[in-house]
Amino acid sequence: MELLKHTYLVLSKDLLLELRRRDSVLTMFFFGTLLLFVFHFSFDLPPDKVAEMAPALLWLAFLFTGTLGLAQLFQAERENHCLDALLLSPLDRGALFLAKTSFNLILMLLVELVVMPLFWILFNLSAWNLLPQLFLVTLLGTIGFCVLGTIMSALTLRARARELLLPLVLFPLMIPVILATIRCMESVLKNGEFGDAVSWLKLLLGFDVIFMTVGVLIFDWVIES
Amino acid sequence: MAASTQPVEKRKGILGGLAVVAVVIGLYWSLAVAPPDAYQGEVQRIMYLHLPSILTAYLSYFLVFVGSAMYLWKREKRDDLLAHAAAELGVLFTALTIIEGSIWGKPTWGVWWTWDARLTLTAILLLIYAGYLMLRSLIDDESRAASAAAILGIIGFLDIPLIHMSVYWWRTLHQPPSILRPDKTPWETVHPSLLTALAISFVGFILLYFYLLSLRYRVGEMRQEIKALRLERGA
Amino acid sequence: MGPWGFVSLAYGIVWAAIVVYWLFLKHRYRQAEAELNRLRSSEAAASHDKR
Repeated sequence: MELLKHTYLVLSKDLLLELRRRDSVLTMFFFGTLLLFVFHFSFDLPPDKVAEMAPALLWLAFLFTGTLGLAQLFQAERENHCLDALLLSPLDRGALFLAKTSFNLILMLLVELVVMPLFWILFNLSAWNLLPQLFLVTLLGTIGFCVLGTIMSALTLRARARELLLPLVLFPLMIPVILATIRCMESVLKNGEFGDAVSWLKLLLGFDVIFMTVGVLIFDWVIES
Repeated sequence: MAASTQPVEKRKGILGGLAVVAVVIGLYWSLAVAPPDAYQGEVQRIMYLHLPSILTAYLSYFLVFVGSAMYLWKREKRDDLLAHAAAELGVLFTALTIIEGSIWGKPTWGVWWTWDARLTLTAILLLIYAGYLMLRSLIDDESRAASAAAILGIIGFLDIPLIHMSVYWWRTLHQPPSILRPDKTPWETVHPSLLTALAISFVGFILLYFYLLSLRYRVGEMRQEIKALRLERGA
Repeated sequence: MGPWGFVSLAYGIVWAAIVVYWLFLKHRYRQAEAELNRLRSSEAAASHDKR
C-alpha cells in the first residue's frame, strides 16, 4: 500500500533524526518530570486525596508536554524549505499526516512510559497492577491528542505567536479526550476495572477513529495552507 | 459601480427595518404581555433572550461550517467571507448567551456561574470560535488564513457533537445529590403567550442576525477589494 | 436585586451590546466605503490622465 510505504519513509526519517540528536524526547521528558514536581509543590495533597487527583494531574502533565512536542513537529521541515521540497515530491499528504502523528505519538509514549511510573513513585501511590489498564487509556488518549495536535500544528505553521495559538485552538477541541481519559483512569483506580467507564473508552476510540480519518483525508488542504 | 449596489443596500435597509419591528414587538410581548412563570417568576423572561440567542449562535456556526466546506471545495472568496462574518457574529451571540445564562442563574440557583452542561458547553463553543478568529488574525497571508480557518471551522463543527456528549455524560454521572438539577428547565406548563413571546423574539433575533450578517459580509468584501486595489497600485 | 432587576440587567446588557456592535459595524462599513471610493476615483483619474 502506497500510503503505508510513504508513511514509513517519512516516519523513519524523523525517528532517525531524533535518535541522533534526541532533542525533542529529552526536553519533553524533563518538562514532564518538572511538571510533576511543580504539581506536587502547588497542590500539597494529603495522601488520600492524591489518588483522586492523580489522573487529572498526570494527564495535564502529558497534555502540556505533548504540546511542546507538537510545536517542534514540523521544525525540521521549516528549515531550508524542506517542506516545499516535500510537497513537490509525489508524497501522499495523508502519509505525511500519519507519519507526523505517529512520530509525535512515539515520542509521547516514550515519555509517558517513564513519567507514569515516576509519578507513581513520587506521589506514593500503590496499585501497580493497574498500570497496564492505565497505559491503555493513556495510549488511546495520546492518539487522540496526536491526531488533532498534528493537524493544528500544521495549521498554525505560518501564524504569528504560534506557541500561544497552538494550545489555544487545540485544547477546546480536546475536551472529549481530556474528559474521557481522566474519567477512565479514575474508574480504574477506584474500582480496579473499567466498569461503567467503558462508554468513555468507546468515546475515546470513536474520537481517534473519526479524526484520524478526517486528518488523512484533508491533510492536503492543511499543509498547503 | 455605485448604482448597481443600490438595490442591495435598499434590501439591507428593509431587512434592518423589519428586524427592528420584530424585535420591538418581541420586547413588548416578552416584558408586558406574557405572564410571569409560575415557578421562576419574572426572571423567566430572560429565557426570551437566552433561547433565541443560543439558537442564533448555532445557526451561525452552521454557516461557518458550510462556508468553510464550500471554500475548501470551490475556493470562491464569497464562501470564505461568509464563514468569517458568521464566526464573528457567532462569537457575539455566544457571549451574549453566556451572560444571559449567568444572569438567569443568579436568582434561580443562587450563583453567577455553575459548571452545568449547558453553560459549560456554551463556554467551550465560545473558546473554539474565538480561536477561529484568532487564527485568522494571526496568519498574514490572506489565502493561507482563509484555508487554515476553513479547516478549523470544519473540524470544530465536527467535534461539537463529541464535546456535547462528553460534557453531558460528565455532568449527569457526577451530579452532587444535594444541589438542584440545573440541567432541567423547570417549565411545567407552557402557557400559549409564553410560546408566542418566544416565537416573536426568535423571529426578531433571526432577522437581526441576517441584517448584521449582511453588513459584516459587505465590510469583509470591501476590505478585500481595498486590498486588491492597493496591491495593484503598489500603494 | 429584585427579579425585575435581573431582567433589566440581562435585557440591558444584551441590547446595549447589540447596538454597540451594530454601530461599530456601521463605522467600519463607512470607513471601508470611503477608502474604496478614494481608491476607485484616483484610479479613474489616473487612467483618464493616461489617455
